[in-house]
Amino acid sequence: MSAFTDRRFYQRASLVARRELLENLRTKAFWLSVLSFPVILVLATLVPVGLDQARQERLFSVVDESGWWLETVGAELDEPGRYRRISPEELTATEPTAAELRAEQPSSSDQLSTLNDAVARGELFAYLVIPANPESEGLRYVAAHLTDNALVERARQLTERQLRYRHLAAAGLDEDTIRAAEVSVEVDSRAVDASGTERVASLGEVARQWAPVAFVYLLWIAIFAVAQMLLTNTIEEKSQRILEVLLSSVTPIELLAGKILGIAATGLTLVSSWGLFFFGIIALIGLLVPLPDDLDLQAVVTDPLYLGSFAVYFVLGYLLYAALLVGIGAVCDSLKEAQNLLTPVYIVLMVPLFAMIPIAEDPNGPLARALSFVPPFTPFVMMNRAAGPPAPWEYAVTAALLIATIALTLWAAAKIFRVGILMTGSRPSLRDLIRWLRAPVGPVVETDEESAPAR
Amino acid sequence: MSNSSSPLALELSTVTKRFGDRTAVDQLSLEVPAGVIWGFLGPNGSGKTTTLRMILGLLWPDEGWLKVLGQRPEAARDRLGYLPEERGIYQRMRVLELLVYFARLKGLSSAEAKSRAGELLERFGLADRAKARCSSLSKGLGQKLQVLATLIHRPRLVLLDEPFSGLDPVHRDVMREAIQEAKDQGATVLFSTHLMEQAEELCDGLVLLRDGQKVLDGTLAEVRGGGQRDIHLAYEPIADVPVPDLRSLPGVERVRDTGYRAEIGVAEEGVAQEILSALVGRVRVRRFEVREPSLHEIYVRAVGTDSQAISEASSETATDLQVGGDESASPATQERTSP
Repeated sequence: MSAFTDRRFYQRASLVARRELLENLRTKAFWLSVLSFPVILVLATLVPVGLDQARQERLFSVVDESGWWLETVGAELDEPGRYRRISPEELTATEPTAAELRAEQPSSSDQLSTLNDAVARGELFAYLVIPANPESEGLRYVAAHLTDNALVERARQLTERQLRYRHLAAAGLDEDTIRAAEVSVEVDSRAVDASGTERVASLGEVARQWAPVAFVYLLWIAIFAVAQMLLTNTIEEKSQRILEVLLSSVTPIELLAGKILGIAATGLTLVSSWGLFFFGIIALIGLLVPLPDDLDLQAVVTDPLYLGSFAVYFVLGYLLYAALLVGIGAVCDSLKEAQNLLTPVYIVLMVPLFAMIPIAEDPNGPLARALSFVPPFTPFVMMNRAAGPPAPWEYAVTAALLIATIALTLWAAAKIFRVGILMTGSRPSLRDLIRWLRAPVGPVVETDEESAPAR
Repeated sequence: MSNSSSPLALELSTVTKRFGDRTAVDQLSLEVPAGVIWGFLGPNGSGKTTTLRMILGLLWPDEGWLKVLGQRPEAARDRLGYLPEERGIYQRMRVLELLVYFARLKGLSSAEAKSRAGELLERFGLADRAKARCSSLSKGLGQKLQVLATLIHRPRLVLLDEPFSGLDPVHRDVMREAIQEAKDQGATVLFSTHLMEQAEELCDGLVLLRDGQKVLDGTLAEVRGGGQRDIHLAYEPIADVPVPDLRSLPGVERVRDTGYRAEIGVAEEGVAQEILSALVGRVRVRRFEVREPSLHEIYVRAVGTDSQAISEASSETATDLQVGGDESASPATQERTSP
C-alpha cells in the first residue's frame, strides 16, 4: 500500500494521535478513570475490614433444658465483640412479664414467645433452645435472618464435641485419654522444581502462582476502558459531524491509525498510573505490615515475565479490541445503538474472566491450553498462564494467531470505517458490510500527470 | 488536454458513481478553469455531494477519471479546502488550537500555522476569543470559525457544500466576503447551492446537475444563452377585443402566462419590438420589460420544476435526507430512507 510509504501519512496520523491524547488528558472522565482504580483498590481493602469492625456485637440467648449444656458449651460460645450471650432475664428485665421468666428452666410457651418478640424487635440476634436430650432431639435455632450462620455452626460443633466427650466418659475413659483422642495433623507442603530438587513451598511461591490473576483482571479492565474510549470518541465525532470536515484533510486510514495510536497513548498513561499506584501500595504494605520472610510481594509483582506479558498483551489485546470497537463505532450513530452490537462482544469476553481461577490452578492444563489458541482470549489466558509458564512454542503459535487476527480485524475495521463514518442514518445491513469489505481499496485513477486514461 | 500545467482547476471525464442499483453520478464531464467562482447547482439528490466527495478523493468513481489541480484527487488533498454541508467542530478545543490543528493537517509548520491563525482571527474579529473553548461560541461564530479552518492553508481549490445554508444575513455576508477573498488570492471556488440568488451574485460560471447528469454548464454568459431574453409582460384585456394567443406571436419560444402577467421567452432581443407592436391595440400593455433570463428561470427551464418549489421541498426533506444520508457513501440508500 502506497499510503504507508508516504511521509505525510505518518505526519498526519501523528497529528491526529497527539490531538486525541491531549484532548483525552483534558477530560474529567480520564482523571476519574485514573483515580477510580486506586479508590476501588483502597475501598476493596478497607471496606470489609471496616464493616467487620463496625459490626455491632450480636446478642443471643439460650434456653437450656439439658442441665449441662450451659456450663460446658455455653461458656465457649461467647466471642467477645461478635457474639455475647445474655440470659433471658437480662433481656426482659424491663418487660412486665419478666418476673415470670426464669432462665435455665424448661421452656414455657410464654418464654419462647417473649424471645420471639425480642428477635422480631431486633433486641436479640438469635436464641438457641437446647432440649433435654440434644442428641436425639437436636438443637433449635431461631434468628432474625439465616445468612449469618457462624454462631449456630459453632454451637453445633461444640455440642457434638461435648456429646462425644460424654459418650466416651460414660464408657469409662478418663479425661486425659479423651483429650488425647482429639488430635489434629499438620501438613508440610513442598514443591519439586524442574531439576527435581524438593523445596519447601514458600508463601511467595503461592503468591507467585496467583499473581497472574490480578494481572489478568487489570489487563481486562485496562483493555476495555481504553477500547471503549475509542468507541465513544468515534461515535461522538460522527454524531457531531466532525468527521467529514476532517476527512478533507486526512484519509480515513490516517484518521483510524491516529485515533488508535492516540487512544493507545492515553491508555498507556492510564495503565501506567495504575501500575505506579499498585506498586506503591505493594511497597507500602511491605513497609507497614510485617510479612512472613518467605513472602516478597514486591518481587512477585515485578517479575519480569509478568510485567513483560502484561505490556505485550495489553498492546496486542488493545489493538484487537480497538479494531473491533472502532468498526462498531463507525456504523453506529449513538452509543445506545452501539450497546446492542457490543452485547455479544461482552458475552464472549466473560469467558476469560470465568476461566481465571481454573487456569491459575492449572496453568498448563487442557482448558488453559485450549483457550490460549482462541485469539480473542489469547491475551488474557496467556497472561493468566504466566505462572506456568507456557512452553515457548505456545507463546510463538498463539502470538502468531493473535497477530494474524489483529491484522485481519484492522483490515476489516479500516474498510468499514472508511465507508461507515461518512454515513448517517440507520445501521447498514450485514449485506452492506460484506459489500464494503469487498470493495477495492485504492484510487481508480493510478496515473502519472501526463496520461490520464479514461477507463 | 490534461497535463500538470493545465489552467484547469478541475477536470472530470465521464465520471460515473453507483451505489448499489442507484446511479448517483452519471457520465459527468466537467471543466472548471482556475481562478473562478463556480456554482454547483441542482436539486437535492442530484449528485452534488457525491461529486464533491469524489473530488476530495473520499470516493472513487466507478468509471471515468478526475483531475484536481492537475493531479489525481489524493495528491491534491493538501491544496484543497472543504467545507461540508454537515459541519461540526471539536467542542472541547480552543479556537486558536483548532485552527492550528487544521492548518497542520494540511502540512503547515507549527509556527506558520500559529501565525496564520492569529492573523485570521484578528481579521475576522475573533482575536479576543482565541483562547475560548469552541463550545462557548455562538452558532454564527462557530460557522465563521469553520470557514476560517477551511481557508487557513490558502487552498488553491475551495469546495463549499451549501455554504449559505443555516446562516443568518450577517454571516452570509461574511461567507460571501470569504469566498470573494479566496478568489482574489487566486483560488478557485466551487460551491454547491440551491439558492439561485447567491449563485447569480457570486458565480463566474456554473454547472447544473439533475439526477446525476449534467444539464448545462459554462460561464454565466454562456448559460444565459447569448441572445436569449425574457419579456416580462403585464396587461389588461380591452373590452370586446379578444386576447391574442401569446404563443402565436412572432419569435416566441415559450410562455408562462399567469393571467394578465406573462413571461415570454424569445431567442433574441430583436423580436421584442415586433411582439410589442403586435400587442398594441389588442391588449392594454401595463408593463413590458426585456431582460436577460435570471438563473432562476434557467434553472426552471433546465430542471423542469420551479426552483422555489425545489428549494422549499429540499429544505423540507433536508432533515430526512441527512438522516437517510442521501448522498452518503451508503450503497443501501433505498432501504435506509424507508422508515
